[in-house]
Amino acid sequence: MEQTRKRNVVVIGLGNVLLSDEGIGVHIIGRLLSQQKKHPLVDFLDAGTAGFSLLHLIANRKKAIIIDCAKMGVRPGTIRRFTADDVQSVKRLSHYSMHEADVLRVISVSRQLGECPDEVVFFGVEPESLEAGQNLTKTLSDKIDSYIADICKELG
Amino acid sequence: MNNNIDINVHHITRVEGHGNIVVNVTEGRIEKLQWQVPEAPRFFEAMVRGHNYQDIQLIVSRICGICSITHSLAAIKAVESALGLKVSEQADKIRILMHYSEQLQSQTLHVGYLAAPDFFDAPSVVPLVARAADIVKTIVKVHRIANAWSDLIAGRTTHPVTIVPGGLTRVPTEKQLRQLQQTLKDTIPDLKKIAEAVLSVAGNIPKFERPTEYVSLKQTSPPTYTFYHGGITSTDSKGAVVPIEKWHDVANEYIVEQSTAKWAKWHRDTYAVGALARFNNNAELLGPMAKDAAKTFGLQKGCCNPYMNTIAQLVECFHVVETSIAIIDQLLTKGLKDEKATSAPRAGKGAGCVEAPRGILFHEYEFDKKGNCVAADMCIPTNQNHANIQKDFEKLLPEILGQGQNDIRLKLEMLVRAYDPCISCSAHFLDVKFVR
Repeated sequence: MEQTRKRNVVVIGLGNVLLSDEGIGVHIIGRLLSQQKKHPLVDFLDAGTAGFSLLHLIANRKKAIIIDCAKMGVRPGTIRRFTADDVQSVKRLSHYSMHEADVLRVISVSRQLGECPDEVVFFGVEPESLEAGQNLTKTLSDKIDSYIADICKELG
Repeated sequence: MNNNIDINVHHITRVEGHGNIVVNVTEGRIEKLQWQVPEAPRFFEAMVRGHNYQDIQLIVSRICGICSITHSLAAIKAVESALGLKVSEQADKIRILMHYSEQLQSQTLHVGYLAAPDFFDAPSVVPLVARAADIVKTIVKVHRIANAWSDLIAGRTTHPVTIVPGGLTRVPTEKQLRQLQQTLKDTIPDLKKIAEAVLSVAGNIPKFERPTEYVSLKQTSPPTYTFYHGGITSTDSKGAVVPIEKWHDVANEYIVEQSTAKWAKWHRDTYAVGALARFNNNAELLGPMAKDAAKTFGLQKGCCNPYMNTIAQLVECFHVVETSIAIIDQLLTKGLKDEKATSAPRAGKGAGCVEAPRGILFHEYEFDKKGNCVAADMCIPTNQNHANIQKDFEKLLPEILGQGQNDIRLKLEMLVRAYDPCISCSAHFLDVKFVR
């Protein structure tokens, strides 16, 4: 039994679509999935709040692109491309629960296991609202086409 | 004896709170000892109100990234109860297979990534990879198999898409089920290896006991170690089984000053849910390998050491694997049918209940005649455990006051971790500063 999809390049959208802009990664993946034919060698995955399961989704790929809501201290709606080495997590974890997730920690474990893709690229989008709600704020939804353009440029 | 202790493990995220442990001991006198759980206001009801019955399970699957199949199944059972929908035997079995995949995912995740670092005296799983690479790789392997299993049956590893009112959108092929069955058979030696590794450090599991009430599902017809069917029972209810529709009589929620999350009680001031509760109510119904695993760890029905919940989870890993092998046999013997789920809206109210990996979960919905949701309620296992954690603290601390502050803190933290709580589930965003 194998994962049903396993292409060399994977684009993963993370986030919770019940918390407004927190779900930006999933909203973007929804749009990218409709363009799957243009990118036959790429897997687009809606991983939601998969947390540690991300480890398996990126394992032994050549490249992983991870799209997530990111608190970066910049203007809401800003998208930034970075790698795991460009940033340091300032997220405080309680270590009480597997329900809290830190993607950077997953990347660290993946590297230690020797199965991390050669290239892991993040696209972080600064949220305007993390309140309960199933829609993006207008600030982010107005920019979704430009976010997709940035990611497609990364895919080449 | 420590005369003065000051522990304040305070974690606040921007979206919702973690649990905080607060201990103040002055001149040997315990002045404050609290398990505090700040929780954001519940938005669950508003989230689903107005949505059609066909969409409920998809929405609630997003509540949690670890228990997404469980939330979907609790919701679909409630929806089907409200609308009077029947599910075929085949769909029922496939849903149970799906549910078991999540049990294995979650229990492996908890035992391997959260509890194991305590047992092996590592601060987290990250340094544990270097210290015990072989066993971590085995845990990762089993977790990966469980994820692929969910992917196959639920259509996605997390947030399932194949569950619909009245059944499923698709049925796995015979070839896929045979492959899955073989994979599960091949996983058994890996589970044994994990159990052996945990057994080798089982001396690090604190020896602490506090009798309490253990609440879980119980299925009597046919008798089954259940995660999905049956009614509600407890170690205090003398064999009585309460129908799911009466779940409000069980989970009596109440408000306390120290926590914005509600607490729950039934026959006593507190009760516990989770793997140990299921074990204490149903242990005789476990599969043979699971029984052997329990015996190896000396885990017996009536155990009231909350730290042993992690061991009960490990025991359940064996159970879901061996039971799934048998379920696949039953499905293949009967022959797979191409079924189409059908449903129609009607006004009604229904409750659904399943066992999440971390304990019993209740959902309830009411629909108007167009099938739109007009009311919803939910009670998650972690909230049912909060009061019990507090009572455990109150018995444990006087017993360990003679130990150093760091040991006391570790034992309290390990206790919380043993309950495998679902807190801060929805806050997954990156929080970073740029360093180059």
